[in-house]
Amino acid sequence: MITRRYVIRRIIYMAITFFVAITLVFLLPRLAPGNPVLIILLTKYGGIVKPQQLKILESELHISGTLWQQYVSFWISLLHGNFGPSFYYYPQSVSSLIITHIPWTFFLLGTSTIISIVLGVAVGSYSGWKRGYSDSFLQSFSIGLTAVPYFWLALIFQLVFAVLVVINGTHILPVAGAYGYFVTPGFNYQFVISLLKHSILPLATLVITSFPGFALLMRNTVVTVLDEDYVLQAKAKGLSLNTIRKSYVNKNAILPVATSVGLAFAGIVGGAFIVEEVFSYPGIGYLLYNAVTVYDYPLEEGIFLIIVIVTILANFAVDLLYAYLDPRVVLK
Amino acid sequence: MTNVRIDKERMEAVTSSRPTTRFKDFMSKLWKHKKGKAGLIILFGLVIFALIGHFAAPYNPLANNAPAFQPPSHAHLLGTDYIGQDILSWFMVGTGTSLVVGFTIAILSALIGVTVGVIAGYFGGKTDDVLMRAVDVLLVIPGFPLLVILQTFLPPTLETTVLILSILGWPFLARVIRSQTLTLKERQYVLASKLSGLSGMQIIFRDIIPMLIPIITINAIFIAVGGVVAQAGLAFFGLGDLRSVNWGTELYYFFNQDGIAYKAWWWLLPPGIGIIILGLGANFLSNGIFETTKPQKGG
Repeated sequence: MITRRYVIRRIIYMAITFFVAITLVFLLPRLAPGNPVLIILLTKYGGIVKPQQLKILESELHISGTLWQQYVSFWISLLHGNFGPSFYYYPQSVSSLIITHIPWTFFLLGTSTIISIVLGVAVGSYSGWKRGYSDSFLQSFSIGLTAVPYFWLALIFQLVFAVLVVINGTHILPVAGAYGYFVTPGFNYQFVISLLKHSILPLATLVITSFPGFALLMRNTVVTVLDEDYVLQAKAKGLSLNTIRKSYVNKNAILPVATSVGLAFAGIVGGAFIVEEVFSYPGIGYLLYNAVTVYDYPLEEGIFLIIVIVTILANFAVDLLYAYLDPRVVLK
Repeated sequence: MTNVRIDKERMEAVTSSRPTTRFKDFMSKLWKHKKGKAGLIILFGLVIFALIGHFAAPYNPLANNAPAFQPPSHAHLLGTDYIGQDILSWFMVGTGTSLVVGFTIAILSALIGVTVGVIAGYFGGKTDDVLMRAVDVLLVIPGFPLLVILQTFLPPTLETTVLILSILGWPFLARVIRSQTLTLKERQYVLASKLSGLSGMQIIFRDIIPMLIPIITINAIFIAVGGVVAQAGLAFFGLGDLRSVNWGTELYYFFNQDGIAYKAWWWLLPPGIGIIILGLGANFLSNGIFETTKPQKGG
């Protein structure tokens, strides 16, 4: 059950979180030394510039006037969805850059999260139900995998598929980009195949490093649920083991896994960003990596704010979904 | 009078040899626990490895007088990198840096997390509300992008990275400590301390925090590993002090200096295996601590 009071309170918390993030993004560059306008001018125009141009740039970057005036104008443009111009890709705006890149990140994040949950739940449920030898093997295997850092695994995949396993001069799997050079984006067979092939290694990296967490949690809750009286009663009633497992154990054990998705998601975001860097996958993680290397501060700030909004909303959605799945949960 | 006497007894109980015998007790229990023992050995081994690297690495890790991209040989057991630095020496010295980074982050984070958690749990009310909302905000903001944005505008030194990671590392611990404190403060002996006139701070330091040490240690271990990985990830993204010799910068240079094109597997494997060994050791040790210090029911 979800009360209206709960929803309103959550919205207020989300607003506070967002307010903190925006204020941080506003203050940090202003505490750091150096004039951002000069950085743009030096990198882009070799430092030759007219005074009027300087004024226009300053107002576009909200660095004229008192700190308070800057803060207000910063907020006003943010509320208009305007994150200002990018330093490096100037005069392209940060918003337009993010809009063109974010679908790729959504694709990677969404697909890898769903596959990880499904795989984790399946493995964990099997492991907790079977117990014994296969259980302890799967458990140590999962613990071992959680210790593998995703950026290292991504590099291993690069090394193996880019240079070590090359048959007759062709790669088995593509190691960079989101689709091939010679396919035209659109809804055609070649594009979809190329898209899928390019996503295999990035997805594999993310899934291999994030599914064991779900598997371990699922395994532990299955073991706890098996001790419950209603499972004993179901057995006494003579229900088939398959029915017990599906309708009694898995259904109940999956709930704690659902609550963990929200927090795990924040971690998978970081993983996706670094994986995009390694595989030159054109999402906002790759964009952020490029922004870092060329000191494109507005772009970094815009990406940060967008990903904060996405994570907060995803968390909220997961909580609502949880209350919907489990009628015993009362969110008030 | 009685107040004073009880207080004295308590003082004696705390300041006598009890803590050290308790520690010895705990260590011997942990040593008998299979996983706890494995964890201790693995982590101790890593520390020894790092110490050898600090005092007696085969080469200066920054000396580049060997040919570049040499596969492992007798002279260079793990080969050389893009400018002919000895990778084994790099890895040994880097292990030390990464361990110190993780250890420092764990200590600082634990200090903040325990302070916030105990204060929120013990005093409750408005203080609790404000602190826990701050924790919620920090937990929900995705860590890696936040790290990137902070490190961008702060000085690129290893100290800054450690500080940022410590400031971001504590919220989960604070939440755990708060919920533990909530149950502990209802215990009989805490009530007895209250009746005997001890102040809130005295109770916190004598009755509550000592009971929380196992759970603090377990969480601190995971914060340490998380810190090492986060620092490595940040360095890999090109942020922080890239001249520092650690596991993260090793991977950064591998990726950015054509390690892949030269098929330099000997350069890529060590830091990843280092992180995996650290992660496994931490997991075993925390598992051992958890199982040997499980609270007995009714205590």
